[in-house]
Amino acid sequence: MADINALISDIESLPTLPTATSQLVGMLGDDDVSINDVAEIVRVDEALSIAVLRYANSAAFGTPSRKFDLRESIVRLGRSTLTKIVLEQQAATVFSGGCDAFELSRERLWRGAIGGALAAESMAAKHNPELKDLAFVTGLVRDVGKLVLDRAYGADYVASVQSKLCADRTFVDAEREAFGTDHAQVGAALCRYWQLPERISRAVEYHHCPPESGDLHDELTDFVHAGDIVALWSGISLGSDGLQYELADHVKKSLKLSRRAAERAIASMWDSLRSIEEALGIETDGTKRSVA
Amino acid sequence: MSITAASTSTQPAGKPITVGVADLSVAKGPGVNIVTHALGSCIGVTIYDPSTNVGGMLHFMLPDSKINADKADGNPAMFADTGIPLLFKNAYELGAKKENLIVCAAGGAEVLADSGHFKIGSRNRTVLRKIFWKNNVLLSADDTGGNQSRTLHLSLDDGRVAVRNRGMENVLWPI
Repeated sequence: MADINALISDIESLPTLPTATSQLVGMLGDDDVSINDVAEIVRVDEALSIAVLRYANSAAFGTPSRKFDLRESIVRLGRSTLTKIVLEQQAATVFSGGCDAFELSRERLWRGAIGGALAAESMAAKHNPELKDLAFVTGLVRDVGKLVLDRAYGADYVASVQSKLCADRTFVDAEREAFGTDHAQVGAALCRYWQLPERISRAVEYHHCPPESGDLHDELTDFVHAGDIVALWSGISLGSDGLQYELADHVKKSLKLSRRAAERAIASMWDSLRSIEEALGIETDGTKRSVA
Repeated sequence: MSITAASTSTQPAGKPITVGVADLSVAKGPGVNIVTHALGSCIGVTIYDPSTNVGGMLHFMLPDSKINADKADGNPAMFADTGIPLLFKNAYELGAKKENLIVCAAGGAEVLADSGHFKIGSRNRTVLRKIFWKNNVLLSADDTGGNQSRTLHLSLDDGRVAVRNRGMENVLWPI
């Protein structure tokens, strides 16, 4: 069995978590944090400031003809949206190297992360709105383990896992047989290395096999699990691991996921994703719009 | 969403037209390749008229626009029942003739252990066939089902359609 912590400490080019992301995740759920605290993080980062300006002045926000400056944009967007924008922008840094082992380019990694995050957020909004922001962040980092395995093993990783795959076996089970661990466990170890809150790390660890009961059961994990499947159905997070994953029965029941509800969740996630992408100048095929 | 009626003159040399998720594109060849990536439960449909070198590709996500008519108005390529007619209509506008069209499809995969509860991919496949059957369109070849991700390619040089999955290529047309 692979020693996950050794795996993480041995990789020189380990994905790094931008400082702004750590700061923002630390602020989640803290009622004493004001929009000014979030604004301070934005102001010191040029790329973030540009992204915030683009959002606040984009059609997605129904902006009238006048343009808003940075300060007005920050107030206009509000704390929750501002936090989300910063995290979306920063996710691009985490995923900038792509993930060749899973045949996922930088753009597709980012899109899959945001799509799953939006779907998890939407599940939380419906069933426990207090967990909305946490579900978004956890959805965003749920597959960071794939980055570690890509750096550690390259294309050999998926090839070895595929040799253990059969029609009714999940990719995660095949990973465990081939390597003694899986990308969710490795992702959780990376989240702990990044010192993200334990609740996030645990939800990442179990996002493919959410515990139904007991101490490890957490609604947050259920939301991220369902969000991950919605992203897979839509195709946006698909890599060479395909759709060899399953939706847990107890999550299907507790979230009242009917076929129609699932189709609506896919359509709604896609719409939300496109609004974000349009504001960031990203085309429908996931590539950055060229500036004429 | 973007619906392009591209031609060789608008396509950068050597670069294929990429059809995104819930997107479609039609073009006139030769010298044009169209591709769509990451077909999971979604289905990619290709059409090609060898007499005019006009062809196109649709990547739809869901079977039925009735779940949200507003979304279908804004983005018809998201659904089979609104995207497929639009793909054909756009190809006709570039000179394609229905009786010449070679039609292929790929995708419609499922997640595991989905014993009839959701069947998103299967519903996509069923609705696709129903629409073709109602409109007297014959599906020349398809590579659908399973649980793998697929990439679909169409060449407007000769109508060649290929599906790639985990490094393997399966040529759907010519058969």
